[in-house]
Formats: sequence, structure tokens, C-alpha cells
Amino acid sequence: MNEKWNLKSVLGITDMETVKLDFDKTSFKTVKYWALRTMKWFKLKGFIILKSSDKCYHVVFDRKVSWRMNVKVMAWVCLLSKHRKLTGWFIMQCIKEGSTLRVSAKKEKPEPRIVFRYGSQTNQIAEFLAYRRLVKNIVAKLETLQSLQRGNENLELKTPCFNV
Amino acid sequence: MAKKIAVYGSYEAKVHVKQRYWKKRIDGVKQRYWKKTKRTKKVEASGRYEFYGKGKDLYKATVKAHRFMPKGFVSVSAEKFLENPEKYGLEGEWIEREVES
Repeated sequence: MNEKWNLKSVLGITDMETVKLDFDKTSFKTVKYWALRTMKWFKLKGFIILKSSDKCYHVVFDRKVSWRMNVKVMAWVCLLSKHRKLTGWFIMQCIKEGSTLRVSAKKEKPEPRIVFRYGSQTNQIAEFLAYRRLVKNIVAKLETLQSLQRGNENLELKTPCFNV
Repeated sequence: MAKKIAVYGSYEAKVHVKQRYWKKRIDGVKQRYWKKTKRTKKVEASGRYEFYGKGKDLYKATVKAHRFMPKGFVSVSAEKFLENPEKYGLEGEWIEREVES
């Protein structure tokens, strides 16, 4: 594998059966409120909150749902919370027919990390976290390969030329 | 449906320049056609891959996706993508720009 890598693309997880929400520019308190309210209203068993950057959070719920139900839940939160960014994200997910959340770092934003857990974590959350681990492993391997490649390039530059 | 790995962002790729030409049809109407020239130009665009399949294939496909830029929205099995990456993408490189998930 002697290809050139740059990690400027973003890696994420897409699926239709897990209810996910992306709250940008929202306080943790508000995110927790909406996650709890949504979980209770739709009986979603449990949720996790991931912090993606400053005042940006992702929510993943535990119960497996159909795409129809997923859209229903996301639309309900958008309508009641009147959150512009969340509504924009929701429309984008409807166009793609699958909801995506970022796993890798993006520009100066770090990888999202878990900051809060509530209720059951055994169904969709466990599956999401397993897949997240897989993506993280891929990113780590890519980074190792990239650093090795850089090292080789530096070695080539440093090697003195003996041609007379 | 299983979970998919999404690889997305903005990229720069070289595409063949298309040239238009007209040809007179039998019924007398001038029809416009496009032909692909050998000339290439650099274009900035955004695209997205959605890979599904086994772990090893997913890893290999993600590595390959760093050289072949997606032609729009591509949802493909990692195994199929590895067999023929040129079918799904153009050679280019990813650039850092703000993208929506």
C-alpha cells in the first residue's frame, strides 16, 4: 500500500434504525432536557450524550425503531424545541434517508466523546459504540500509516546524495 | 439495514472537459451533443461515500476512499468498491472545508 493519505475527510456512522440528534450551539442542560423528554415520550429506553465540540452535542437513543418512527421522533424534537440548526440537520438526514453522526475529528473539532449516560445501553447504543470503535480503529491505523509515510519522506530528504 | 461508515467532505479532483458540438439530424433539426475531450480541469466539489460490509473490507475501502473521490452520493458495499474503485470515484484529494453531516 504505497498510497498517499490525508485525513481531511470526515468519517461518520449512518443508519436508519437508531434515533440520533445533533444539537449545535446548545447548552448541556438543554440537550439533557430534550434527550430525557424525548426518551420518556417515545419510550426509547435510554440515551447517551456525546460532546462533539464546545456547546455541540450528539444524542443517541437505545431502542431500535423503523425509519418512519425515527423521522417522527426527530421531527417532534425539531418542532417543539424550535432549534434552527437541529432542523437543518434533520432535513439533511431526510434527504439522505439515514441519519449520520460524526466519529472522527473535523478541522479543529476533536472526536466526539461520551459525557452522559442514562437508562438502558444494551441495544442500539451498544451497537453504535461497537461500530464507533471500529471507525476509531480505522482512523488510528490511517494516522499511523500517515506518520510512517511522513517519516519515510523525511528520511528521503535527509539521506545524503553520493552521486558524483 | 446494517450500519454504514460515511466518508464525506470537500475534495479537489481532475475531470475531463466536455465539449459541445452540433450535428444535423435526418429530419433537419440541429441536435446538440457532448463529447469528452482529453483535456482535464480541476474542480472543487463535495461528495460522500457510504460503505457497508465486513470490518477488513471497510478498512481497505476507507483507505482507498482517500485517493478516489466520490461522484456525488455513493452508497456501495465495501467489497464491490474495492473490486472497481474507478467506477465509483475520480482520482483527487480531500480538502479541509466546512461540511454538514
